[in-house]
Amino acid sequence: MHSLNEEKLKTELLTVNMGPQHPATHGVLRVEIKTDGEIVAQAIPHLGYLHRCMEKHSENLDYRGVIPFCDRMDYLASMSMELGYVLAVEKMLGTEVPRRAQYIRTLVCELQRIASHLMFFGTYAIDLGAFSPFLYAFQDREIILRIFEELSGVRLLYNYIWIGGVWNDINDDQLKRIKEFCITMSESLKKYHSLVGENKIFIERTRSIGVITKDLAFEYGATGPLLRGAGVKWDLRKDRTYSIYNEFDFDIPVGSGEKGTLGDCWDRYYVRMQEMHESIKIIQQCLDGIEEGAIIGKVPKNIKLPKGEIYQRTECPRGELGYHLISDGNKKPYRLKVKSSCFTHVSMLPDIAPGLMIADLVASIGSVDIVLGEVDR
Amino acid sequence: MSNDILNDLAYRKPITLRVYFKNIYDAIRTTLKGMSITIKYVYGVKPVTLEYPEVREELPANSRSRLFNDVENCISCMQCSAACPVDCIYISAVRREKEAPALKTKNGQAIRLDLTQYTIDTALCCYCGLCTTVCPTECLTHTQDYEFSQYTLDNMKYDYLDPQVRTWRNRLIKN
Amino acid sequence: MEYINSKVSGANAVVSKGDAGDSSIIISPQHLKEVCRQLKDGEHEFQVLQVITGTDFLAENLIEVSYILASFTKNSELILKLRLPRGDENNLPKVDSVVEIWKAADFQERECYDMIGVEFLGHPDLQRILCPYDWQGFPLRKDYVTPEKYLDMVINPISKMNIEDREFGAKHAHIKGASTSVDNYKVDPPATVSETETV
Repeated sequence: MHSLNEEKLKTELLTVNMGPQHPATHGVLRVEIKTDGEIVAQAIPHLGYLHRCMEKHSENLDYRGVIPFCDRMDYLASMSMELGYVLAVEKMLGTEVPRRAQYIRTLVCELQRIASHLMFFGTYAIDLGAFSPFLYAFQDREIILRIFEELSGVRLLYNYIWIGGVWNDINDDQLKRIKEFCITMSESLKKYHSLVGENKIFIERTRSIGVITKDLAFEYGATGPLLRGAGVKWDLRKDRTYSIYNEFDFDIPVGSGEKGTLGDCWDRYYVRMQEMHESIKIIQQCLDGIEEGAIIGKVPKNIKLPKGEIYQRTECPRGELGYHLISDGNKKPYRLKVKSSCFTHVSMLPDIAPGLMIADLVASIGSVDIVLGEVDR
Repeated sequence: MSNDILNDLAYRKPITLRVYFKNIYDAIRTTLKGMSITIKYVYGVKPVTLEYPEVREELPANSRSRLFNDVENCISCMQCSAACPVDCIYISAVRREKEAPALKTKNGQAIRLDLTQYTIDTALCCYCGLCTTVCPTECLTHTQDYEFSQYTLDNMKYDYLDPQVRTWRNRLIKN
Repeated sequence: MEYINSKVSGANAVVSKGDAGDSSIIISPQHLKEVCRQLKDGEHEFQVLQVITGTDFLAENLIEVSYILASFTKNSELILKLRLPRGDENNLPKVDSVVEIWKAADFQERECYDMIGVEFLGHPDLQRILCPYDWQGFPLRKDYVTPEKYLDMVINPISKMNIEDREFGAKHAHIKGASTSVDNYKVDPPATVSETETV
């Protein structure tokens, strides 16, 4: 009799738009979900709502003018974006960057990594319904932003890392404040982890959800915390060092499947929290070892790169960023292609979504930590 | 079809009675631990809100806000216009006659061109600061003024040769 | 940045290097899938496809498609290039798709199709990704002209283009010794020109 009732009932999939305007998609991302009740059967991402043709613009600008455009890609981690491009240009030019500038660059990039992961922490908690960690994270982030404001003049899109060095110098007062910040931040991080990460409700919502296994990550080319959460110990700062990262002593946290499956959302969250601890370690070593000297090297007024191409990879808070720069000997880049990690991560959504409920889909998208500025460029 | 998907869900594992009660105990314990952290913020932390507009924050000296050009010192080299990534600076100039009295900037450079048009469209400007670094006489600078919104887009085009700009200029130069 | 001799596949492989920067390997387009399969499964283990770049060389009438591969287990990188004839709107250059080998190629090939106009045969769902789905033209080609309208919206409306400020310099270009920073406006000089005209 039960089967007779089911024969008469017709069911079909419902198409729902998790539209461009949504508080939980971290930007203008449109995900077309075909659901069966509450369970997702298929999820198709549609991009392009924030496309600003940065690659086409950069063909009309000289090499220094591209740096403000690079900032605006991942606006929550601007320093890391600039660093990749500047390293690519410097490698082709063959300029030597002074030691003090390299220390300042590392300092600033690691501070930026902490700020970006704090933003992830705050917004991930708010996606799952917890309102307090958002403001705590922003209070700590405010200290970092204030230091950046004194260094470069603005709070978000800095244009600070230049070809050959950095723009302004850092003085002792700011170094002292960074040192105090490191001490208070270590304490606060432990507090935040026990507030959010150890909470049973958070664990039940994120364990075994959105599992990305090692093979899936390699198939898609996922990098950054996604790959490390799946158990692969791969970090560009150690394996293909650039700048002066080989002089610092730090660890690479990997996910271990502690609370659920290996490679689930909790692992990725935990990897990011541990990375903040490691960044604090690097900053403390940087502060101890910073040298005196010039802050910008000798770069010609009109920069003309020799003919050729280069692919430079750096480790950004969200993954690996790659700049493929092709030049033909003029003052303007002939082709600048940006390989953004978030673009490849969004392409993984159709593979991790089926079988989840819609609330779990929100948790998965949040743990992938996308910024649409980088996806669409 | 829905049955297959339900079977795949990772968290559809059978729960024993012991696990059920342990879950409840864990939930209460961790929630109370979290509350003990947040309770401290009720009376233990000083509020960090600045009551704008009565209290205004002091921006640092190298803040990149509104642009200002001291046209009396400009030598019309047009470097700022060339460096701008969004092309928001429009300059035109005329060469001064040889018989005209010689003018100098405050650094001592001779002014050979008369500025006829110096307009910056601050709505297009991205506040990157590239124009201020290439100015040889440092007449183009960033100020700390951040409250300059207007009702129409046309008002965002600043003509620095306008005599009405002088009141703003005098106020800035006094500081 | 190491390069290999792809004698493993028997395709024509040539190493090319510019004046500075990385070197890359140019192969012929017909053997692309074979080469990629060998690179992925063979001894070099290039498991990850990082990016597919398309570059338009208008002067040489070529489109160059670069595949940048990386190996996370052996810590190496490789740039593979293909050279294709340029074609035009109705006759796009065609390449085999490598989606079966690396799933990352899915979105990357869609972006290459969207921006440069290279058609990938065998791709499951080749449509535009960054531009709207019914956009005409391929933006990153060097001879791309922005259309005037899209659906019923005007692109680059006149009221926002600051026409008066741009034309100022051109209007007064007849004055002796005038120069301007805006160099792409041509305006006819006024009918009557007086000697002592000042602005």
